[in-house]
Amino acid sequence: MSRIAEELTAAELQSAPLVPPADWRRQLGRSRNAWVGAGILLMLVGVAVLAPWLAPADPFAITGPGLSPPSAAHPFGTDALGRDLFSATLRGARVSLLVAATVAALVLAIGGAVGVIGGYAGGKVDAALTRVTEMFQVLPRFFLTIIVIALFGPGLDRIVLTLGLTSWPTLARVVRGETRALRGLGFLRAAEASGASPVRVLVREIIPNVLPAALVVVGLAVGQVLLLEASLGFLGLGDPEHVSWGSLAGQAQGFLRVAWWLPLFPGLAITAAVLGFNLLADALTEVLAGR
Amino acid sequence: MTPWQFGRRALQALLAAFMIIIVAFVLVHLAPGDAVLAIAGEHGDAAYYAFMRARFGLDAPLPEQLLTYLVRVLQGDFGQSYVHGRAVAAIIAERIPATLLLTGSALLLSVGGGIPLGVAAARRSGRRGDAAITIGALALHASPAFWVAQLTIVAFAFRLGWFPVQGMETAGGVHGLGAVGDVLRHLALPALVLASQQLAAIVRLTRSGLIIELWSDHVRTARAKGLSDRVVTWRHALPRALLPVATIVGARAGHLLAGAVIVEAVFGWPGLGRLLLDALQSRDTPILLGLFFVVSLAVIVSNILTDVAHAAMDPRVANR
Amino acid sequence: MPLRFGCAPRQATAHTRLYVNEGNRVAEVNPCRRLAAALVGTSLLLGACNGRDADPRPGVLIAAIPGAPAHLNPAITTNGGVHAAADLLYDGLLGLDEQQRPVPALATRWEVLDGGAQYVFHLRQGVRWHDGQAFSAADVVYSFTDVLLRFHSRTRASLGPVVDSIVAPDDSTVVFHLRQPYAPLLQQLDVVEAPILPRHVYAGTDPQINPANNAPVGTGPFRFVESRPGAELRYAANPDYFGGAPGVSQLILRVIPDPGTQVIALEAGEVDWLYGVPGAERARLLRTPHLKFIETALNAGGSNCVTTVAFNLDRPVFHDVRMRRALTHAVDRQQFADRVLFAQGTAASGPIASALVPSPSGNVVLPAHDPRKAGELLDALGWHRPTTGMRVARDVAGVPDGTPLLVSFKQLASFAAYGDLLRAQWRAVGVDLSIETLETAVFVEDVFTARNFDTAIISYCNGFDPQIGVRRQYASASIGPVPFSNAAGYRDAVMDSLFDAAGSTLDPAARSRTYDVIQRRAVDSLPYLWLTDGINTRAYRDRCTGLSPGPHFAARARCGQ
Repeated sequence: MSRIAEELTAAELQSAPLVPPADWRRQLGRSRNAWVGAGILLMLVGVAVLAPWLAPADPFAITGPGLSPPSAAHPFGTDALGRDLFSATLRGARVSLLVAATVAALVLAIGGAVGVIGGYAGGKVDAALTRVTEMFQVLPRFFLTIIVIALFGPGLDRIVLTLGLTSWPTLARVVRGETRALRGLGFLRAAEASGASPVRVLVREIIPNVLPAALVVVGLAVGQVLLLEASLGFLGLGDPEHVSWGSLAGQAQGFLRVAWWLPLFPGLAITAAVLGFNLLADALTEVLAGR
Repeated sequence: MTPWQFGRRALQALLAAFMIIIVAFVLVHLAPGDAVLAIAGEHGDAAYYAFMRARFGLDAPLPEQLLTYLVRVLQGDFGQSYVHGRAVAAIIAERIPATLLLTGSALLLSVGGGIPLGVAAARRSGRRGDAAITIGALALHASPAFWVAQLTIVAFAFRLGWFPVQGMETAGGVHGLGAVGDVLRHLALPALVLASQQLAAIVRLTRSGLIIELWSDHVRTARAKGLSDRVVTWRHALPRALLPVATIVGARAGHLLAGAVIVEAVFGWPGLGRLLLDALQSRDTPILLGLFFVVSLAVIVSNILTDVAHAAMDPRVANR
Repeated sequence: MPLRFGCAPRQATAHTRLYVNEGNRVAEVNPCRRLAAALVGTSLLLGACNGRDADPRPGVLIAAIPGAPAHLNPAITTNGGVHAAADLLYDGLLGLDEQQRPVPALATRWEVLDGGAQYVFHLRQGVRWHDGQAFSAADVVYSFTDVLLRFHSRTRASLGPVVDSIVAPDDSTVVFHLRQPYAPLLQQLDVVEAPILPRHVYAGTDPQINPANNAPVGTGPFRFVESRPGAELRYAANPDYFGGAPGVSQLILRVIPDPGTQVIALEAGEVDWLYGVPGAERARLLRTPHLKFIETALNAGGSNCVTTVAFNLDRPVFHDVRMRRALTHAVDRQQFADRVLFAQGTAASGPIASALVPSPSGNVVLPAHDPRKAGELLDALGWHRPTTGMRVARDVAGVPDGTPLLVSFKQLASFAAYGDLLRAQWRAVGVDLSIETLETAVFVEDVFTARNFDTAIISYCNGFDPQIGVRRQYASASIGPVPFSNAAGYRDAVMDSLFDAAGSTLDPAARSRTYDVIQRRAVDSLPYLWLTDGINTRAYRDRCTGLSPGPHFAARARCGQ
């Protein structure tokens, strides 16, 4: 059901003007939501990069009494085993954002390629790719992810692969629609007539025009990935080898009523990141839709 | 859409469903681990495992198992559950109503709540109320469902006592007319939690669609005729703004069967999502595959129906 | 429930006031007003006020179970969920009292003959199945020969090899002829290990798919009424129960998968009985009014469980006992009891669950928590600790210098906290742990079939006799593809013969001495690292009395207002 947001946005993008406004970057710069979203994400990326230096303790090590509330020694408190939650939350930024970024890259690569090729080539290629896209679209994503992780064991690689391989169809549809419509426009015909190779047309004319819309869909999908990872943690399917916000949130479920700090801090981190991606994606949509 | 087009579409869809079931079958059977060991539990011996394996047809080569399975599915038989000792179709069927009730109500609630909120935000466009609604809906959307669920239970069911904590009906059941009210009281919290997760998308699309419509020519004409703001918004602008919402919600209806694994687990709701978790724990492969097939098929059917409806409403789509 | 939205401010009743005692101001606000404001346009919420389930009804006991059992035939499975629900409907030949001694059930008397190679059971007269048919010796013979010894994996594994024949000389007598003297038989005849099924319902059918598995006919204190798929099971008291009719007329088993929700449902009065409480919430619940608790080592999935880390003795790194000793010295068992179990269990005192060896001789002493000693042993083995990070090999035979000391650890998801704490404690002495969480079927295959692991964590439930639950950990015959058998791959002919001797000894004092020798031998060679002895906390509302921890927990219960 979480895909409804992506689908709705896709519909909105398809009704938007084909060619983004020439100054879409500048317009984006005037959006307050975009600045807030970008600010949040930049801060989180900064934390992720600097985590090893910022974190005071090994997130796996016992450094205090179990379940002690936030204090000077442990700004975010400790978990049941006595591990420092502040260090874990900082370290978690790395894993969570890495997962998000890898899934985003996979989705962009697969969805973008399928969409651009289908839309540009048309004909039988397009029909075949559309069938494949439809098949993936039908897959129940969360069902499939749970089954794969449960049967093949928890692991970041599997989470990234499953989510990446199942999250691209919306993007492919948007990109295909845009590409197909662009092909009908005069300036592409002109470029083709002047002897430009299809690759050149793709790289110079189509991708720059399709990219902003693609980024919106990816932004929304990535927000969902962070939440899905947390849900896996809740079901006991988190990867014990890596501290992520999702696994911290999942472990905190058993302590909601005895140690408020355990869900609070990783939860704030997840919410902030999802909010950041969504605000940015929404702002971009508004600009593209010409509002 | 001509009957021929419809037939072709249905055939393609059926093929897709079979591709999916083959992929799922191979995936589940290639996964490490032996279902028989999971079923047997502690102790046991080699002869016992061989006996169980033969019983479930797991001693045949994989392609043969797949073929047997596909032939049976074509006849509408999803096989016997390893642990229930009953037909998979019956086990899945008895859970469908609970799931549909929960996810369907949640969808209605999110649409029913999202549209008025979207309208309110659009009419306060750019002001503080707009930002509050947008951010509030986004924050709900950005919080893990399992916390929203448990905190809601603690606050509204336990502390305030407005709703029951869990389940789909009062223990022991309620007889007569009271039963409907009883199910509704149990439904309220899980449906709201589930709805809150997708409220943001509907608020946002309603809001942005409406902002465009409010500035469109035909709305300006209506205004010029002296119609009130309220009438213009609700009668003229909103219906056009909602078209994409309706299409998407319709196309997604099939996914309602995939249920709400997390919300069902926290609220103890006896739906398909819970059946999935139980089947995973006991490695009940026939149930896993049956669930997968039913959900995919529901999505496909709802997609086709939405296409047909869409084509009926908008002739341009028909020849897409 | 009237179909209206507006309703009066809710008065906290005597019953509800109990639960809003933490500075809550329920009665001050009009809940409906807030509700209406918060939940715009939700016609579904008609009558949502006064939401809590009806006040507890006298004579009705509601128990929470974590999952819906797949069926209700306890004779064909050892699944804990099936047994928790189905054992209430059935009986064994014998029962077990709180000290786990055999007491009469379907059999009233028994004789042990032939030095323990023949057991004669005299059955209770006048017992009837829930459908009115008379119970007889034929039911017992059928249940063992056609069902238990074929489908109940634990009974099949332990009794299968020793039972020669089971016969009924008359309608009220059953004789077990064994191939050799077998001491623990009487501990294996209760409703968990050997429930008796009705022959007239099951004979001639496949017991795994008989429809009665979903609508059982038993002899137990409760009879099956109906089931709501995935939601609840409804039982009624069996007025003709031979042990006396239960004090509650109705027993409802309510499926609540999330442990947090189970606790809230108990506090809110929606359920009366929990089979276990999450460790983290235990301390808070102990202070909550109107709740009572029973601490027990009994568990539907297996009793007297010792959480154990197995060293894979096939791995060269564990060939030297000093390595196993070092890793044992590195472990603080008390910390596991405190921070993982939250006092729902104790630090393990030896290889066998403390409840099964009631008078420890003092000779069984596990290596104490001593990181310094652990470090010295590891140094001596050639694993040295650089100034930072984990230990690396220097002059370890067969290992290239500089190889880091990294041990793999396999676990089921429910052991995640154990893995995390073990990693922290081992890393403190410079041994790194790579943790892999596996699903049951994969874990079993990796650990017991493929033996592809360094260390693995297993809860070995010892049962009611070391022959049932302990022997499988050490017997060389139980190395192999059987779940939860000899994970370490421990082979010792002396140990094998010690277990043989203990199994065929009837004299309790002599058996006890043999188990003492077995324990000391195990501690000397450390094939396993014994962490904790588990305890389960049953929690119930104090409107109910007479509850017990065993499988028939509600047989003598009474529930008032």
